[in-house]
Amino acid sequence: MTIEPLCSAAQRKYIARALLCSLSFFSCAQALMAQDKPAIAPPPLPVLTPQIPLEISVTGSKPTLASLQYDFDVFSWQSFIALNWPANSDGTPNTNLTIGQAPNDPVVWQSYRESRSIFLAGGATPAPWGEDTPPPPVCRNIDAGHLPPGTLRLTQVGKTPNVLDESGEPFKTGPLIDQNGQYTRFSIMTNQSMFNYIVTNKLYSKAGQQAFNADANFPSSNATSQQLGSIMIKTAWVKMGGKYDPAKFYTTYALVYDNPEEEPGVKPSCVLEQVGLVGFHIGHKTQDEPQWVWSTFEHVDNVPTKGHASTLAAYNFFDPHCKNCKVNDPPPRPWNPGNRYTKPSQVERIIPITAEAQQLNESYHQALAAAVPDSVWLNYELVSTQWPTDAKSKTDPTGVPAPSFLANATLESYIQGQVKQTSSSCMACHNNAASTTGNPSDFTYLLQRAQ
Amino acid sequence: MSSEMDNFIGLSAVLTGFSHNLLAPPLDPVDIKAEYLPFFKRKIAQESGDPNLAGQIFQKYSALHAQGLTPQQIGAAMLDPSNGEDFVLACRKLIFMWYSGAWPTLIPAAGSTPASTVSDMISAKSYTASLVWQVMQSHPMGDSNYRYGYWAKAPAPLSDYTGN
Repeated sequence: MTIEPLCSAAQRKYIARALLCSLSFFSCAQALMAQDKPAIAPPPLPVLTPQIPLEISVTGSKPTLASLQYDFDVFSWQSFIALNWPANSDGTPNTNLTIGQAPNDPVVWQSYRESRSIFLAGGATPAPWGEDTPPPPVCRNIDAGHLPPGTLRLTQVGKTPNVLDESGEPFKTGPLIDQNGQYTRFSIMTNQSMFNYIVTNKLYSKAGQQAFNADANFPSSNATSQQLGSIMIKTAWVKMGGKYDPAKFYTTYALVYDNPEEEPGVKPSCVLEQVGLVGFHIGHKTQDEPQWVWSTFEHVDNVPTKGHASTLAAYNFFDPHCKNCKVNDPPPRPWNPGNRYTKPSQVERIIPITAEAQQLNESYHQALAAAVPDSVWLNYELVSTQWPTDAKSKTDPTGVPAPSFLANATLESYIQGQVKQTSSSCMACHNNAASTTGNPSDFTYLLQRAQ
Repeated sequence: MSSEMDNFIGLSAVLTGFSHNLLAPPLDPVDIKAEYLPFFKRKIAQESGDPNLAGQIFQKYSALHAQGLTPQQIGAAMLDPSNGEDFVLACRKLIFMWYSGAWPTLIPAAGSTPASTVSDMISAKSYTASLVWQVMQSHPMGDSNYRYGYWAKAPAPLSDYTGN
């Protein structure tokens, strides 16, 4: 977190209000209340920039849990804007455009490195940053030379690569089936800072991790040196068509790959599909938040909130007309993404999006609409941000997260709730991550994929 | 934080030996105190039949604190039998609640059966937030924030867990 300079406009206002305190009790109370409110109320129109924030900017002179949550949520939205900014061919933001323009072009994070291309068979050295990596062999029937720019390789049918494997069962995870009866697809990507750390230390292989034999410590973003640290992006996608109108989604193309190694009966296949974004996680390690900052966004039509009346005629992962659908329950086995149709999942949000986050979402939607009136990004909203309230705790390596629980309806569909060790908490879960040697791997499970 | 909450946390710090900041961190997403204070007031009123007893306890603590006494002096004064049986028992139950996350019920001896204490867990949150785990320099069964392999390393000093 970065506290604003003493002479900032906000502080000058605070000092002026403090002087009022000497006049009367009522002016004191009113001044302090008025001072507190701006820390929570969002500004009318946020500025949209392609700069990924390097640290949280603390706006209140007396930060509270609520005011800091607001600051972290702003950090999340700023990050979302920057990462989804139209990109040049080298992945840098195209500053001639603003977010929402050129909606069919790749955005910044699409130049990040897919985990599949880092942890290779036999622990092989991954191709250098910026070099395209060949798709799985089964995709050879597709002309790789003519893929649309930014084409993803969607090889996962779960947030974890082995969701079809029984090892995922204890966590009651499982595939998420969309309203067309198709499997939702996922990807995990790392930015260059994180990729370089893995390659430099040879953490892409088991042998490399054994030689490294230490706790991983990925680079942090540093506002002083202006260095961008480690960022992970996890995305969730549905195939366009049927009940999904491409005009309502950020879409791209993807080689959708069914992996036969995950469960008997799955046949290898690879299809080039237009897919639409439904879930978006950002994990960003900063200097003041060594437990990382965890931001999560969803498509606004994903799911209703439990206990609240359905407000939409149709959702991406909920059928308002289904009276006997089991809610937040994984589909019955056997699982096979190659099936022509699987009964759709029925998902509700368990923890409501707070009023403050909804207000911030509205504020950013206004800014996005002011930039591009029909921006597709108006269809995405922040669920929340999880952050460490005591990052330097000597007894709790999770840094006492706030909020205690956080789930994305597409990425943690079946483990939402508020039961410790059972319900989704980004930091509590990722705190357990270790490499193949058993050394803590700095809040990422990716290193376990090394061969 | 209300004046009543200030007194509740101040008294709790004195009686448990934990620091004020550990019981009520400035940024407190767990916020177990918000669960404990109303629970404590309700139970004390029910069991003593005196709806004002909790308030009297807080007032006494506040007065002692205002005199600039040490935590040890305040603790001794709060647990002095001259305060009355219900008053002292309530203070002891406050300690029990913080340490165990549960509320105790004293069962007097009957015939050949000796006196005993049974307790009911207040909530799932109080189980994980109870101070006994901190004193053990450990974690609740079934809920650990430690990283893989922590068992092979010495825990942090006890003072890091108690804040004192």
